[in-house]
This record gives sequence, C-alpha cells and structure tokens, in this order.
Amino acid sequence: MGVDRRMVLSGIVLAAGGFAAWKYAPALFEGPLEFEPIDDPAGFRKIEGGDRSAAFDPFVGLSSQETDPNEAIAKARVRADICSALYGGEAGAADVVPVASFSDYYCPYCRVQTQKLVEIEERSSGGVKVVWHELPLLGETSDLAAKAALAAKRQGAYVAFHKRLMKSAFRASPEYLRILAKDIGIDHDRMIADMASQSVQDELHDSAALAGIFAFVGTPALVIGKTVIQGQISDRRIEQLIELERSEGISGICSTA
Amino acid sequence: MFNRLIAILGLAGLAVGLLLDAPGARAATSAPHSSPAVEARLIAAEDGVTIGTQSISAALDIKLGEGWKTYWRSPGEVGIPPEITWSGSQNLAEAEILWPAPKRFRAFGIENFGYEKEVALPLRITLERSGEPVSLRAAVNLLVCSDICVPEIFELSLELPRGDGIDDQSAAQIAKFAAKVPDDGTGSEIDVTAAYISEDSTALVLAARSESGFAAPDVFPELGPEVAFGAPDIRLGDGGRTLWGNVPILYAGSTLPELRVTITDGARAATQSPALADAAPKPPFTLRAAVPGLGDVLAITIVAFLGGLILNVMPCVLPVLSIKLSSALKSGGQSRARIRSGFLASALGVLTFMWALAAVTLLLRSLGLSVGWGLQFQNPSFLTVMFLILALFAANLFGAFEINLPSSLQTRLARADGAPGHMGDFATGAFAAVLATPCSAPFLGTAVAFALAGRDIDILVIFTALGLGLATPYLLVATRPGLVSRMPKPGPWMVRVKAILGAMLALTAIWLLWVLIGVAGPRTTILVTLGTLVLVTGFSFGRFHGRTGAIVAALVAVTVMIGPGFLSAPAPAAAPAGTTNWVAFDRAEIARLVSTGKTVFVDVTADWCLTCKANKALVLDRDPVATALDTPAVVPMQADWTRPDERISRYLESFGRFGIPFNAVYGPAAPEGIVLSELLSSQEVLEALARASSGSELTRAE
Repeated sequence: MGVDRRMVLSGIVLAAGGFAAWKYAPALFEGPLEFEPIDDPAGFRKIEGGDRSAAFDPFVGLSSQETDPNEAIAKARVRADICSALYGGEAGAADVVPVASFSDYYCPYCRVQTQKLVEIEERSSGGVKVVWHELPLLGETSDLAAKAALAAKRQGAYVAFHKRLMKSAFRASPEYLRILAKDIGIDHDRMIADMASQSVQDELHDSAALAGIFAFVGTPALVIGKTVIQGQISDRRIEQLIELERSEGISGICSTA
Repeated sequence: MFNRLIAILGLAGLAVGLLLDAPGARAATSAPHSSPAVEARLIAAEDGVTIGTQSISAALDIKLGEGWKTYWRSPGEVGIPPEITWSGSQNLAEAEILWPAPKRFRAFGIENFGYEKEVALPLRITLERSGEPVSLRAAVNLLVCSDICVPEIFELSLELPRGDGIDDQSAAQIAKFAAKVPDDGTGSEIDVTAAYISEDSTALVLAARSESGFAAPDVFPELGPEVAFGAPDIRLGDGGRTLWGNVPILYAGSTLPELRVTITDGARAATQSPALADAAPKPPFTLRAAVPGLGDVLAITIVAFLGGLILNVMPCVLPVLSIKLSSALKSGGQSRARIRSGFLASALGVLTFMWALAAVTLLLRSLGLSVGWGLQFQNPSFLTVMFLILALFAANLFGAFEINLPSSLQTRLARADGAPGHMGDFATGAFAAVLATPCSAPFLGTAVAFALAGRDIDILVIFTALGLGLATPYLLVATRPGLVSRMPKPGPWMVRVKAILGAMLALTAIWLLWVLIGVAGPRTTILVTLGTLVLVTGFSFGRFHGRTGAIVAALVAVTVMIGPGFLSAPAPAAAPAGTTNWVAFDRAEIARLVSTGKTVFVDVTADWCLTCKANKALVLDRDPVATALDTPAVVPMQADWTRPDERISRYLESFGRFGIPFNAVYGPAAPEGIVLSELLSSQEVLEALARASSGSELTRAE
C-alpha cells in the first residue's frame, strides 16, 4: 500500500520535472550569448542570428559588384571612420546604446524587425538610438523604395514612411509616391528632388560600403553597439544585447572618433 | 546547434546524392551554383539537339535548403520573382519561363507566393537555327528568404551539342514541374465564371466552378505589378463545385491592367483572364458552420412555442381571441363538432400565416438578401417604427387610451365568424397572427435570429412552433370545447397583467431609443421621442377622432417613422469608453501583431447588443481583466458593429457566427484565434489570454 502511494507520488514528481524541463530547457539553452570577435573591422564582434545566415561564408559578402567609382570613394570614406558612418553622430553619448539597422523594403522580415526597433527605441526614452541604413539588395524597386525612405528621413518622416509601408507594399509609380507623400505629410516635390540627390546616393553608398565591410550576406542585419547580427533575432535577444552593450560601453571602437 | 549539424549533414547528403545521380559527363545539366540556401542548375530534357529540332525543353532546377523560399512571378506583397537574362547565349531565339503553381506563405502577416524545398522552372527554349548546337548562358537573379533575405546572383551555362538521347532524370524533373504549371482550365476542369472589382478598388470578388469539385483551393489574382492583394476569403458552395472568393486589394494603381486569376487545388491549377463583371458574384449560401445541434433546435423551438403562447395576451391579439371566444360562447346552440372544427380552422389560419412568413423569409434569403437578426437594429427607420409601436402599446396598456379595432373591421370579423363554412374561422386565425407580428419581434428575437441564421428546415420548424403557440388556445378549445366556458373571465387581474406587460414594453422601447442614439444620433432621437409623445397625448385625450383626426395622427406617425431615414447623418462613432485603450479592428493587423509576439484580444460589439454591454460592465472593464488587457504585450482590438460593416460581418462569418457578442483571443500560441463564449467570465478571458500567449518566447528559441 505505502509503496504504491510512494510510486504514484514519485511518478507525479517525475512527470512534473519532465514537463518543466521540456518547457524551460530551450530557454536555458538559449542562455548565454556566444560572441565571436571579428578581425576586420577591429573591435567588433558577431553573434549568430538565425542558423541559416550563420551558414554563409562570411568572406563572400556583397562587395563583389563595384562598378560606380563613387562606391570606392564611399568605401574609403567609411573605412576612415566606421563608427561615424555606422552611427552618425549618435555614438558619442555615454548612456545611449546606438543600433544600426540595415533593411530592404522587399525583404519580408525586415518590415517586422524595423517595427520592433521603432518600439524598442520609443520605450527606451532616449536610452537607445536607432540609425536607419537602407540596403536595397533586391532590385530596382527596392532601390527606389530605399531612396524614398531616405528622402522621407530628410523631412523627419522615416518612421512615418515605414509605418505607411507596413500597410501596403511599396510600388514604383509616380502616382504612388504622390499619395505616399500626402499620407505621411511631407512635401512631395522635395521628396522627389531628394530621391535624386547626391546626398541620398552617398548615404546609400555608405550603407552599402558598411555592408561590404561587415560582410552582410542579406537583410535584415543589425549592429548593436559593437555586436554584429545577421538575420532574424528575437526581441528578447535584442533587449539582452542592448543591456549588455549598455553595461560594457562601446568605448573600444567609438569614443576616440 | 543541433539544427546546424542537421543542416550540414543534410547538405552533405545532398551532395553525395548528386554525385551518385550524375550519369556522366554527357548529362544535360550545367555545373551547379551552390550556397547554403540554394543549389541551382540548368537542366535539359535532351542530351543534344537532334536534326530539325526547333525547340528544346529545359528548366532552372532549384533545390532550396530547409526553411528557404523563393518566389513566383507575382511574389505577393513583397519579394522579387526570379529573373533570368540570356545574354551571351548562342543559337537562342527565345526562352520562356513556365511558372509552376505557387504555394501561399504567410509570415509576419505578409502574404507571399512562391516555392519551398525544390522547384524546377520549366523553360521553353526556341532555337534561332533549328537542329544546330545551342549554348545557354543564364544570368540568374534569385531572391531567397528564410530568416534573412539573400539575393543570389549567379551564372549557369549549358552546352547542347548536335546529337540525340534523353536525359531521363532531367526529363523526369522537368515533366514533374511542367505538370504543375497551370493550364487554361480545360484539363484541370477549373473555370473562373465571374470577376468583379469593387468601385473603390478595395476588393476583387470572383467566382469559379469545377464540375469535379474543389477540395482545398487557393486563389492567386494578378493585376499588374502595382497591385498588391491581401489574404483571400474563400468559400465553397454547391457541394464544393462552386468557389467564391473575396480578395482585398491592398493598393491599386490608377489604371488596372488585364486581370489574371490562378486557382490552385491540390495538384491541379488553372490560369484564366476573366472579363470584369458589373456586379459582384453572389457568395454561395453554405452556412455549414451554422448548422445547429438537435438540442439547440429543441430549446429554441420551446422558446418559440412559449413566445407564441404569450402573444395571445398581447394587446394586439387579445381582442381577436376574445371576439372569437365570446362568439363561441354566445352561439351556445352550436354542436360540439361545429365548435371543434371551427377552432381547428382558426388554428390552421394561424399556422398558415406563419408558414407564409417562413416562405417569404426563405424567398428573401434565396434572393441573396442578407438576413441576419440584429442587422435591422442598424437601420434607423426600423428602430423608429419599432419604438413607435412599442411606445403606443405601452401607453395603451398603462391605460392612456384604448385601442379599438376599426368598427368596419369588427363588423367584418363578426360577420365572417358567423358565416357558414370554415372560411370565417380560418380568417380569424390568420388575422390574429397578422396582428401578432409587430408584438412578436422584440420578444422572439433570439428564436427568429436563430431561424434566420440556420438552415431552411430550422426556419420552418421555428415558425411552426410560433404558430402552434399562438394557436394553442384555439387548439385547446378544439380538443375540449367545454373549456370555452372555463376561460378566465375578464376582471381586475387583467389590469395587473396589463401593467406588467406595459412595463416590459416600455423597457424595450427605452432600450430601442438608446440604440437609436447610437445609430442615428441624439438629435433624431429627441425628434422621434417628441413625435411619439405628441401621438400618445393626442390619443389619450381623444384628439384624434373622426377623419381629420385620423389623418393628422397618420401624418405625425409617418413623419416620425420616415424622418430618421433622412436625418440619420453619420453620428460620430462613439469613442469606446472605459479604461481599456481599444484600437480599431483591422483583421489584417491581427496576424502582424501576433507575428511580433503580441496577444490580440478582439471584441466585436454594438450599441444595440445588450449582452455586449453586460460583458463590458461585468468582465472587460473590471479587474483583473481590465489590467490584463492594459499590459503592453496585449493589444485590445474593438470592432463596432452598431452600423453595418461588411468587413466585420465577414470576419464573424469566418467563425460561423452571425450575431454578437463575439470575442476571440489571438497569440503566438494561437494564431488562428481562441473563440470565447458569448457570455464572458473573467476566468475564461484570463485563461485564453494565457493560452494564446504561452511560449511566445519559447517558440522562438532555437
């Protein structure tokens, strides 16, 4: 009798333990962040985002098609001061964690990630600053969308632009751009002019040069502080990294700039 | 870690497999392009170009790694279709890509159409000079996405010398995917019968037919590169032989190019270019989800029967019954058999009228009129008429005035009653049923709603029960004619019954008034109330007598009834009160929010829905639910159905619901939604929230 009861009890305990292990073990295994230092650019390190992006050979980046001489110039410019190119003027402040986001409007997951970053930045009340890089890898329309985004950014409407694109896909037509400008409340003519401007082109070249230097294979990609991530990453991971970068500081790479 | 190991092993296996497969140097395949995401080759069915050959069949053979996808010629909301340019090729006149039917992918709330695992894009290659060797140089731009999007840009080359022979393996692969290329509908037996684009270009509605029946169809419309479509709402009808689809248009350009519609169903697929119709095809009436259980039918039948019984004491019916009974009492000389058959005829009259009502309802429904109980509460004219009737009857029951049937009618009734044969009895019954209809609606709402949403047989059953209830006094007398003398005699008890009924009617009237405020705005409501007061006062002081009085009364009544139709300018949608920060309902947004790890609580409500108000007051606006809805991880979404809204109706219909309250919880662990019961409890809401969100982080952990 007693034995039976004990067996039932231990059975229950075992089952409960098994359930707990099954339920919480994956979270435990996600556990500590594993970093791998990067040789070039020095001072940065990488973390594996999704499994898939990690399987790519990091030396086969996107830097293969250099045709425009401006791209070479941009590369040299970025090389000279990676930190400023990556984070603009945001890298200096001690209590701010800078995040560089590389995305393409034709990459499904990018939209979601951009949205997440906007929310994280809003929640942080100044503790996180996201710098948006456009990395249009997916053809002409993708390039046009990137230019429109950067033009919107020049009128302080980058996030509004993005939120608008969450509702409907970007379409490469003059009529669409007119409606878009009206919807997000920016000056249409100025946007069109900016899209064709050298400053937008330079910014795209800079982002592309950065992508080449960091050997990004696709989008989305992120640099948080001094950590490089490619592909999809969970919200929790992003928050975890931001906290880590906040405590460690990015003095090693950016303070001297 | 494990996943990576498996991926590596898988790739190694693939490589070994390819080595074993390779039948030698003569194989009609190009050197592959390999990356961790994709392995692509050019393959040809023939080993060489035989004499006189004008065209050869080839394919871009793509093997995708686990989790990777590539896209169809219309990639969906985002994405880029594969692109091949042939510069540098020799003896190539044209190379046409034949697109195999795509699969729909939903990720992060975005609709994408494409391929996973493996696909071969068949190529129809036309030669410049027939029978001569061909040299293919394909510059391929292939977007592949998993958790990252990578543009794969590579070149493949394939030389086909003069010669013959078939590469069995390549030919089989090409044939396999060529079979998946949609046809024009002949072989696949799929025919797009109608297509309609709404005037504001927000939706494409289409109908298709397949004699062999649809199993699990999907619809992929194409309207040029500018137009993006959302997730389709697909319904089957006629035993699966007809398909009806409503595809939201997310963004439409100024000009609409020719429409192409691809319909897939299992292994078969067809692409057609239907002409645009002037009107939307009607959805099929397969309310399969609404088929109620036997228990439900029984319960509702009892309600309908009791409702019918109660109708007998309604102010509009009571006079008829008493006339009938008193005439039976008076004519004491009649034989029992005559009384019996007379009352049976009256009962039949009641039933006949009810059946006629059922027939009208069925007819309306078969004509495609959207009938759903509660919908009429979105119509200000209906509300006003109901309010007017209820207010007048309530006033009458409180003794403000007497309703006398017009004397001519009374005479005719009396005469008919006395008429030989049973036609008179029959007419009395039918007349009682006619008079009962205005009173029945507010008390029988549930039963009628159930009937309208149900099958044809349900409508018949419920109207019959209603009729039986109403006819019960007649039937009772028919079975025991002696009862006539034992019917309750008029007395003080009638005053009490009248007061109670009056209070019930008054309450219903007040409720209708409140609904009217929501639908037509406060101004209209005040006017309607004033008009009704004028009528009641006029009646109670006997001002409306004679012909002029009747005309004045009728004028006032008509004004009050019709006025709201004109006045009901859109009242400002009442801002949802309470502490919860409701966001407006957006069906497409649900999936997107869920994909970002959020839990979404959907509440469909309306001003005229009493149960919704109860849910709100007792559960949603109270702790602990109010607090649970207020957390950042939860997005409370509210759909206001006070006015008709097709999007909300369709959403409800997708759950087989035709009425509200309706609540559902979506989350990473429940992307399809957990539907809650009509009458909410705090525990149920909290449990559903927990269930929907549980493991939102765990599911994402590698």
